[in-house]
Amino acid sequence: MSEPQRDAGSRLDRLLAVLSWLAQRGQVSLAELAERFGMTPEQLVADLELAACCGLPPYTPDRLMEIIVGEELVEAQLGAELGRPRRLSAQEGFALAAAARASAAAQGVEPDSPLERALAKLDAALGDRGSVGVELGDPTHLASVRDAFGQGSQLRIDYLSAWRDARSTRVVDPVALAAYGGKWYLDAWCHTAGGTRRFRVDRIVGAEPTGEKAETRPTPETSGEGPFVPGPEATVVRLAVSGESGWLLESVPVLETKQLPDGRTEVTLGVVSTVWLERLLLQLGPSAEVLEPDELKSVGREAAARVLARYSTGDTPPV
Amino acid sequence: MARVDRLERLTDLVLVLLNTARPLTLRELGDVVPGFPPEGEARRQAFERDKRTLRDQGIPVVTETIEGPEQMGYRIRPEDFYLPDLHLDPDEQAALNIAVAEVHLGDPSGRDALWRLGIPSLQSLAPVANLPSLPALPVLFEAVRSHANVTFEYRGESRHVDPALLRFRQGWWYLAGFDRDRDAGRVFRVDRIDGNPTTGAPGSAQLPADFDAEAALPDEPWKIGEETIRPVRVLVDALEGPRVVQQLGDQSVSERRDDGSVVVELQVSNESALISWVLALGAHAEVLEPSEVRAGIVDWLAAFEGGSR
Repeated sequence: MSEPQRDAGSRLDRLLAVLSWLAQRGQVSLAELAERFGMTPEQLVADLELAACCGLPPYTPDRLMEIIVGEELVEAQLGAELGRPRRLSAQEGFALAAAARASAAAQGVEPDSPLERALAKLDAALGDRGSVGVELGDPTHLASVRDAFGQGSQLRIDYLSAWRDARSTRVVDPVALAAYGGKWYLDAWCHTAGGTRRFRVDRIVGAEPTGEKAETRPTPETSGEGPFVPGPEATVVRLAVSGESGWLLESVPVLETKQLPDGRTEVTLGVVSTVWLERLLLQLGPSAEVLEPDELKSVGREAAARVLARYSTGDTPPV
Repeated sequence: MARVDRLERLTDLVLVLLNTARPLTLRELGDVVPGFPPEGEARRQAFERDKRTLRDQGIPVVTETIEGPEQMGYRIRPEDFYLPDLHLDPDEQAALNIAVAEVHLGDPSGRDALWRLGIPSLQSLAPVANLPSLPALPVLFEAVRSHANVTFEYRGESRHVDPALLRFRQGWWYLAGFDRDRDAGRVFRVDRIDGNPTTGAPGSAQLPADFDAEAALPDEPWKIGEETIRPVRVLVDALEGPRVVQQLGDQSVSERRDDGSVVVELQVSNESALISWVLALGAHAEVLEPSEVRAGIVDWLAAFEGGSR
């Protein structure tokens, strides 16, 4: 059975991985093999039956790969050679190097950690040395936040909300800490708000332990997938944007996009704060248009007028 | 001849090229591996296509000069096909395993890599980081580590670059390298590369001995551009000021005012990135100088008054 979403190259890649796995084990259950390689049993059987017709010239039975596909088991005699792991593809090599670098960056530098030693071996064997670097950012209060999270301590933070345009002091119990797209986010139970909140660590302008232990909280449903978590309080906003400003939307919580007949793109966003939407609209410029809801149609223009007021009457004379 | 599934032809081709004691000519391959068209241009094209497919999967088919009328022979060298033994200790394997499970890259390639290394992989863990995955990244990675030059479309121009390194910084993937047309070091945002880069042969890139890729990397988005660098002064109010100073460092501050606001001076070679950054601060920031940049922002903001279309 063919799968339209996989081209011959990636099917070959997967088949070679399956054969290598089989060569090492000799006998494997079909269900286990299918699950391991993310295939349906039907796909697996089709690929294995195809492989059983492959081999070396002159393709007499003794020169074909010996693979017997049973009801539940696959048996194979493929020799030790095919069981050796294959070199990593560019994609795999990159993914492994990037993940290892990111993990090392997230933990902070520990020169002789097992991860650093593994990286050194990969570098030496695969020639990766210095090819990829990952920096996750090092905001001023990351170390205190990381310590508090690691030790299960409660923190008092001064926080500059990007969404409410205000500074506030909050007492929080850290629940999760992660870097998404180059920015650090702390998920924490906020005693001030009485709920779980996500904080951008680079907007924390002061942090110190309260001396209390953080209460153990369940990982919030909001954690996990990205910096933006439009919750039930989010407003769904539809925008029309022109092509060249589209890149600004790469890092925002887009729920849906579609092409409009006039060439613009319609983008549906989950928006939790008008302040945040205003700033996005300022960056997108006047060509971006709020289609829905009605009450937000003029926020971009109003925000532009407010910022413009700084420039016309500001205390700083134009130079 | 019965039609042969391309996967079957590719599998046979790999087995034959890997197990041959000497390079095989196209004629020999075409005759021996089922599924190739009869001799001629169609066969050559089919073989070239298979070679590309194999290369894309990390299986290089090497070409060697041989005696005889065809002169070219092909094989897959075992050292190019099999992974060298990495001698990873159990704690090192575990560390790699955790890294792949806790760093989300948007595709399962990291886990595939663990299979290759014979490390049983974990289910996904709660993420400690996620990084954007872009189709150009593996290609560029391979080019960097094999010292191959790359060609790609960037801002409407074809660029020829000897790549030096890839770096994830401030939320973006950057490629630093030596631009052959401009004869100078350049940095590119990988997400702005159009289409897939094409790569030259391994070893085709020659970085100048004094090229410092690290120094070429920008630390802020407004430094990645090709405009002449000029200073821009930005006033930030008392609310956002301290945070902006934390981000940029004290050396960027050129004035602290009594009301708590600060003036920062930035070295800008990408004006639109700078403007975008200032606008994201809303009414908390204002460009003071130079006057053209200030006027540019005023025009941008004034255009809102005309109303959205």
